[in-house]
Amino acid sequence: MRTQRPADGARRITQMALLTAIALTIFMAEAQIPVPIPIPGIKLGLANIVTVYAVFALGPGDALLILVARVFLGAVFSGQMMTLFYSLGGGLLCWLVLLLLSRLLTWKQIWLCSPISAVFHNLGQLLVAAALLGSWTVLAYLPYLVVAGAASGLFTGLCAQLLAGRLKGLGRR
Amino acid sequence: MNKRTALLAALLAGAVLLCAGVIWRQHSGPGGGVLARVYQRGELMEEIRLDRVQEPYSFPLTGEGGAENVVEVEPGRIRIVSATCPDQVCVRQGWISDSTVPVVCLPNQVIVEIVGGEGFADTAAG
Amino acid sequence: MKRAKGLRLAALALGGAVLLSGCVTRTEPSVSTQIFVMDTIMSLELWEGGSQEQLNQAVEQLYQWEDLWSATDEDSEIWAADHSGGEWVTLSGDTVDLLSQALDLCRLTGGALDLTAYSAVKAWGFTTGEYRVPGEEELAALADGIDHTQVELDRDACRVRLPAGMELDLGAVAKGYAGARLAEQLREQGVTSALLNLGGNVQTVGGKPDGSPWSVGVQDPASEQVDNLLAIQVVDQAVVTSGSYQRYFQQDGQTYWHILDPETAAPARTGLASVTVVGPDGTVCDGLATALFVLGEEAGIELWRAHPELGVQVIWVREDGSVALTEGLEENYQVNPQHRGLDMTVVEA
Repeated sequence: MRTQRPADGARRITQMALLTAIALTIFMAEAQIPVPIPIPGIKLGLANIVTVYAVFALGPGDALLILVARVFLGAVFSGQMMTLFYSLGGGLLCWLVLLLLSRLLTWKQIWLCSPISAVFHNLGQLLVAAALLGSWTVLAYLPYLVVAGAASGLFTGLCAQLLAGRLKGLGRR
Repeated sequence: MNKRTALLAALLAGAVLLCAGVIWRQHSGPGGGVLARVYQRGELMEEIRLDRVQEPYSFPLTGEGGAENVVEVEPGRIRIVSATCPDQVCVRQGWISDSTVPVVCLPNQVIVEIVGGEGFADTAAG
Repeated sequence: MKRAKGLRLAALALGGAVLLSGCVTRTEPSVSTQIFVMDTIMSLELWEGGSQEQLNQAVEQLYQWEDLWSATDEDSEIWAADHSGGEWVTLSGDTVDLLSQALDLCRLTGGALDLTAYSAVKAWGFTTGEYRVPGEEELAALADGIDHTQVELDRDACRVRLPAGMELDLGAVAKGYAGARLAEQLREQGVTSALLNLGGNVQTVGGKPDGSPWSVGVQDPASEQVDNLLAIQVVDQAVVTSGSYQRYFQQDGQTYWHILDPETAAPARTGLASVTVVGPDGTVCDGLATALFVLGEEAGIELWRAHPELGVQVIWVREDGSVALTEGLEENYQVNPQHRGLDMTVVEA
């Protein structure tokens, strides 16, 4: 058993690095796709697939590390440090909700965890925006962002469900 | 589907329906408001009575690090016509003419909103 | 069973949505419109007791008056009077009514308001936007041509006669008169709450639907934006402002505005930036606002004290941004919080 520890560690690091790289790639690729609905904060949020998957496959702690690494690197690569705050605010609230959901639900309900967490991601983003802009005016977007988050979240959730099925070997020890 | 899943799914569906209702309601009636306010970093920069605008005009809002949003005003409506932000969401939002939703540029921290002209007074002489 | 519970929750949420959205009702006038007429934007809001039909009627009325009183429309009665070559010109009842009230105001203000200054206004380019500063001789000649006492109004025969070459314009009183007449008409029709803003000439009918008075802002003359220095509370009254900021041009570092002193045919310079008159009669408020701007503060206060029968209150905003207001307004104004520390004096009767 003892000899397996370093191997476990290496495996974990590799998995996390891989997932971070995937998340970052998806994130950067998605930034190139124009959003048809011109409401600030609305996007597909494909990188959320990785976060949702990681929470269930690796546990919330590692998922958080991947999320923070991806958000930080994404902000650096896109050269938009302002996005850091929005993504972090949204990402952290999203993660908190996922943490809760991972206790309540199982692998089989990833499709549902994703839209719920996406709605909270958007809420978190909006709260950061309200704080940064010093105005509650932006909350006028809340209804739009809830509907959009649920819709895009359902899509990414189904993607994550599919991914989970394919990557069963990777996630299990 | 177990009980928990059904409950959470119902909550989500309820929230979505609620928000869809609010959106539908907002768009089914004319939004009020003639007073446009332009904020940058939470600070009120301009206050414009859109019902009093006669000639279209535009003005820039410059922020840190070369950030700039150009606001354009026409009788009864206002928009961000160009911006240095990467996503250009604020520009693509186009004109607004009532208080339904504001135009927001998150990267440059600019808000353009329309509120009722009532504000301080019901109307203005002059 | 489980599905039923989910459904019930969804129904509950939907019901909540309907209830919540029901609460988001706006306080809006029952009928309202904005039109461009008499060279300005007018907004008419009927809040209580008004119908779309009454609103349409008011709009129609405004267009009719515009047709009668436009100084630039060759089919108007004013154009006919201005270009009759010294002959009598027949007028409609409304025009006679307005003209006779306006000429009374010219007399009351000792000619500080003079309807016959139109030639001078044209010479400065205020009617076309092609601004110019007339020379001294030209101004002297223009000033000689301004004299409201030469306007002969025959009320019984409904006709007017001007000396050949003299031109009159009702711009200084027409909007105030229109507001007063519309207000009267709406009251007769049972409207108990209405707010008319005829290009900055405010006319109120009653108070707000909840019974509280209307709050009417007085523009800060120094601001390009809409920025009220203070607001006054009024019920059933007109509020009219004449200000040098309303129409002006700059040339060689000097600012020239549209309110001319009939004695000099040049912009009236008395240290005032605007004068606001509040009172029960829109025509009086409109005409007096112009006259008091021309007279300046001191002579204006004298005129105000000499005519308590008019029932008006006045707000003078000086070029330095300080304000004087008559004592009748003392209990009925609020300073805009953004202009805290406004230098304010009260003028006693």
